[in-house]
Amino acid sequence: MPRFASAAHHERVAARVGSWLGIAFGLCFLTGLLSHLIQHPQPWFAWPSGPAWLYRVTQGTHVLSGIVAIPLLLAKLWSVYPKLFERPAVRSALHGLERLSILVLIGAAFFELFTGLFNIAQNYLWGFYFPTAHYAVAWIAIGSVLVHVAVKLPIIKRAYEPAAPNPDRRRFLRTTALTAGVAFVATAGATIPLLRRVSVLAHRSTADLPVNRTAAAAGIEVPDGWRLEVVAGDRTSTFTLDELAALPQATEELPIACVEGWSASAQWGGVRVAELLRRCGAEPGADVRVTSLEKAGLYSRSVLPGTHTRDERTLLALRVAGEQLSPDHGYPCRVIAPSRPGVLQTKWVTRIEVIA
Amino acid sequence: MRAALFALGLAALAWGSWLAVDFATASWRDTWQSLAIFVGGPVLHDAVVAPIVGGTALLLTRVLPPAWHTAVKAAAAATAVLVLLAIPLLWHPFGVPTNPGLHDRDYATGLLIALGVVWLVAATTGLITSKRRPTP
Repeated sequence: MPRFASAAHHERVAARVGSWLGIAFGLCFLTGLLSHLIQHPQPWFAWPSGPAWLYRVTQGTHVLSGIVAIPLLLAKLWSVYPKLFERPAVRSALHGLERLSILVLIGAAFFELFTGLFNIAQNYLWGFYFPTAHYAVAWIAIGSVLVHVAVKLPIIKRAYEPAAPNPDRRRFLRTTALTAGVAFVATAGATIPLLRRVSVLAHRSTADLPVNRTAAAAGIEVPDGWRLEVVAGDRTSTFTLDELAALPQATEELPIACVEGWSASAQWGGVRVAELLRRCGAEPGADVRVTSLEKAGLYSRSVLPGTHTRDERTLLALRVAGEQLSPDHGYPCRVIAPSRPGVLQTKWVTRIEVIA
Repeated sequence: MRAALFALGLAALAWGSWLAVDFATASWRDTWQSLAIFVGGPVLHDAVVAPIVGGTALLLTRVLPPAWHTAVKAAAAATAVLVLLAIPLLWHPFGVPTNPGLHDRDYATGLLIALGVVWLVAATTGLITSKRRPTP
């Protein structure tokens, strides 16, 4: 059996790194749950349309807390590594169960961090649908964290009792915090403008407004006689691009905040969705279904909830940064609403239908 | 408090397992791939990563003068983390979609710069510590 002499393996270290990791996992779970609920609306859940930066912050927190959890998890595992060699390996049924629950905890934690990290790089090593798997295992991860904390509570309490300072333990904790900080600074520029040039490993580069799906990838061809169709009850209104441009125009500074954790603010110009609905005989505050020219694909349509159609900042954008939308940004028109995941800011819009 | 945490944890575990079974029974390929990641992570860590970390730490402790221990070990840990974070950006066997503004930095150069900064700070710290503290 190996001999572990380092102060890093002390329970006071394990408890502290564990607390930090618990906070990171807790933040990651809660913000991930929010994002899931926004994309899978429930009757009991409403997501506000303001402040406009809200989703940018919650989803940025989701991805960054996950990234910071990587060094924290490794430090925590190193801290408790000697326990792997405990003999006898299983002392009782209960002890066996506890060890098994730790295997589940580590497996789930690794699964979440690994799939999350590769997913934000759009580097799909697997064939399965990421959101479903990442969501299911998130519950397993947080559940086994809670069970683990409950089991270890007496040790955690003991570990936080006052004790004489130990420089070796302190050094390990400082190094752990330092590596977490390095991970943060190296990646956070994906969403924090101040770090944009500093974060050399950010998945978003320094472009003003990234594109997550190009017109070519989505197979978009805008037909010659393109018209926007707005359906409200049995009334259907149609608009050419010139007719949309002739309606009262508005400009809003709104962020695109991707589920993958990057964000970018831009100045959007176009018609207020509330104004468009009023002109078509519908009341702002109704839910509307937005359909894209994209034929297939999960994100070829979205439902814009009443909270967002009521919000005057929600635009059917025709322009970004003063220029007509490029094909990649959603020409002829796209939805841009405050505090929404980027996947729901449907591009290449062809039809808007009032559903409630 | 303890019982509540435990019960809440079990409930979340049960719900997650239900979702996972629902996910896994839809496709055998998905089951195998996700199980491989779930089990592969802990095994890879315990059998490969942790022994390398421990071995490196032990080696550094043996060969370095004490004043340099902390700086070099911290820099080695930071190096490992930076390399880990760079892997998905540098290594993509199945390719990545072309999306302007996303995953399109020069990550190899970026990683080298970050490592340069880390080791420069480590060297400076080590020098200052060894000047302050005479080697026994």
